[in-house]
Amino acid sequence: MKKLFALLLAVAMLMSAAVSFAEVDPANVQETLVIGTAQDVNNMEPYMQNDQINNNVICLTHQSLIMLANDASETGITYMPMLAKEWGWEDDNTLVFYLRDGVHFSDGTLMTADDVVFTYETAMDPSSHISGVLSLITSVEARDDLTFVIHTSAYSNELTSNIASKSLSILSRAAYESGMDEPYLIGTGQYKLKERVEGQYVELERVEDYWGIGYDSGDDYGWIIAPGNAKTVIFKPILEAASRVIALQNGEIDVCIDPPTTELQFLEDDPNVTVLEAPGTRLFYFGFNCEKAPFDNKTLRQAVASAIDKDTILQVVLSGKGLTQNTVLNRGVWSFYNEDDLGAYTYDVDRAKELMAEAGVNPGELTVDLYSATDDPYKTIAPIIQANLAVIGINVNIVSLDQATLKSECQAGNHQIFLWRWNVLDRLDEVYSELFSTGFATNYHHFSDPYVDEMAVEILTQKDESIRYDESVELQKYLAEESPQVPLYVANLVIAYRNGLSETYLFGGGNHNWAHAYIDLSAK
Amino acid sequence: MIRYILKRLVLMIPTILLTSLLIFWAMSLTGGDPVMTILPENATVEQQEALREEMGLNDPFFVQYFRYVKGIVQGDMGESYVTRLDVFQTFMGRLPMTLALGGTALIFSVIISIPLGIWTALNQNSWKDTAGMIFALFGVSMPNFWLGLMLVLLFSLTLGLLPSGGSGGVRYLVLPALTVGLGLAALITRTTRSSMLDVLRQDYMTTAKAKGASRRRVIYRHGLRNAMIPIVTAVGMQFSYVMTGSALAEKVFSWPGIGLLVADSITKRDTPMVTGSIILCCILMAIINLMVDIIYAYCDPRIKAQYSRKG
Repeated sequence: MKKLFALLLAVAMLMSAAVSFAEVDPANVQETLVIGTAQDVNNMEPYMQNDQINNNVICLTHQSLIMLANDASETGITYMPMLAKEWGWEDDNTLVFYLRDGVHFSDGTLMTADDVVFTYETAMDPSSHISGVLSLITSVEARDDLTFVIHTSAYSNELTSNIASKSLSILSRAAYESGMDEPYLIGTGQYKLKERVEGQYVELERVEDYWGIGYDSGDDYGWIIAPGNAKTVIFKPILEAASRVIALQNGEIDVCIDPPTTELQFLEDDPNVTVLEAPGTRLFYFGFNCEKAPFDNKTLRQAVASAIDKDTILQVVLSGKGLTQNTVLNRGVWSFYNEDDLGAYTYDVDRAKELMAEAGVNPGELTVDLYSATDDPYKTIAPIIQANLAVIGINVNIVSLDQATLKSECQAGNHQIFLWRWNVLDRLDEVYSELFSTGFATNYHHFSDPYVDEMAVEILTQKDESIRYDESVELQKYLAEESPQVPLYVANLVIAYRNGLSETYLFGGGNHNWAHAYIDLSAK
Repeated sequence: MIRYILKRLVLMIPTILLTSLLIFWAMSLTGGDPVMTILPENATVEQQEALREEMGLNDPFFVQYFRYVKGIVQGDMGESYVTRLDVFQTFMGRLPMTLALGGTALIFSVIISIPLGIWTALNQNSWKDTAGMIFALFGVSMPNFWLGLMLVLLFSLTLGLLPSGGSGGVRYLVLPALTVGLGLAALITRTTRSSMLDVLRQDYMTTAKAKGASRRRVIYRHGLRNAMIPIVTAVGMQFSYVMTGSALAEKVFSWPGIGLLVADSITKRDTPMVTGSIILCCILMAIINLMVDIIYAYCDPRIKAQYSRKG
């Protein structure tokens, strides 16, 4: 019964975007909301970072032109208006945004299209960390105070996704030109930074003259720009997971991000705590270096794919709190296709042995290195795969590396097989291009196939949605057959919190929006 | 004495240089590319190469090292790859937290361990001695992350007396200091006991007793003072360890100290932060060792005289 309740609650919370947040009685709002995180905030300069923990903070202090919806697969609406009230392609090279009137930064200055131009030009500078994903943009301009125009070298279905990213939160030109310290802290969001003590906490206070108070958005999305409810929001890093759980039970924090699955039972038994479990989007996978022997042999890749027991991996790593999957696309992304006719090579040891024979590899004659990161969950997954492959006669040496080294080695192509993860919220090309197309730095598979390259571009630029959907499904089937990757599982999003947490906007991958979240004292 | 201190301070320079070289070399051996830590994962190859060039990562090892040393000489220890904060300022921001934790843990351990060590030595081979040594064995053997979690379960979750972690006041310091201090107390108890046992067998102790000195005076004036050198050494060594090696306890209690900073920076391959922090730790340890040497001189006039002669 309790699990059913938790499930219903999870669905309700994730669906919260579909309805406006209810009127909040300030008397029932706990003044401070403390969020216990697994990492410390390390950079609050939007375009110079792209870490989840930073984004969780930045989305309280800043806003972007549009916002990504967390329930696109149910509603069909992927992006919602934020600082822009409308937008659209004028032609294949011109994307126009019409901005809301009367938007102010937290220092009281008015935001205009000129600030948006400044933000985009700053982000497009080669020194910016996100300039790479904006390479399609040739120039930007302010047509008038409330019209912002992006000129591109080509049409793209995915450009709007980058525009919704927290890294493209709108900055104040005046703040930068004033010579003040940390001008990037000035945003249009519901909160502003009060204090950041490295290693201890980040404290945000509500902007009392926030521009969105009483603002008539003229559409159904007024709730996005509504003022914050809690007076103060604190992000407190508690790196040790068990300590984070105790801090929640003890009432020192209100929200515990990523509680370990081994501790969930204690939390579920605590009457003051609610555990939210919902489908996640972060895909953990096993990959091959396809340009190097022996895994340039497709049949051998299919044999290995058939030997991996994903259910056991999920059970051991997460006590089953996730979903195994067979397609390369992340769960929740539009056109995700995980049906039986995908043609994926799933766990079947007999078939794996047959494919080994077909690939011309005799049991016991092949020894390979599995590159794996030293941290969880990779260090747990690696020995299971080692045991799985031993059954079909492949000896595996586990090579444990820190994540930066692992990425360098994989990019350089020094590996044979590897374990990694990929978190995609909505962009298809983040999978098809960045993981599988020729020449991309993150194509650790070193997979090069003209058909995939061509289809990735086609899906990026195809304007007919139904054709695009079919093409995406076809490509997933093709990649399942080619098997450059063995998708393993998607971990559930798990968050625990004190009873009464309201108005959250959560994402399966962890890029949550806490701009309106608060503890409702009447529901505690 | 002052000349001796100055000489020791000057000798710190080659020690620091050698340490910086070793750390720089060790970090270069670990492989991996800092650019992978700094840039988002989907950065283009061109972006990665441009940043590598800008940071001078394509330069030969010694060019990079001398550039780093030049920076240190000019008072610039660089910027963290991850947080973009100044390394020196970050370290100094954490130092008071570590000093508070280390100092409190040390005071706690000394208050417990020296009386306990003396007591067990005076009652050698009795049940009191056994009980003291069981305590010492417990303290030495107990992994402090486990002990920390047990203390949190008892004092924080069950009794609700103390916060489970974080920082902000004396209440936050109690559990981490207890966790670190118990381990220290065990080691210092053992050292005190064995040092006292040695001293108690000396002829001058018998002489003091024969001259009619009170038991209290014999033990504390003649015994403890002579037994102090190994105890001060142990305390100094343990303090150095606490200042730089309490990462596990700091992690359990989310105590933002130096140990956690270094451990976290190593995981993230934040080379400037790791190198800078270890160099600063090295300076810190050298200063603590110097302080221990000075305390020796005050404990034992013979050592003071020796320092003065050597100049």
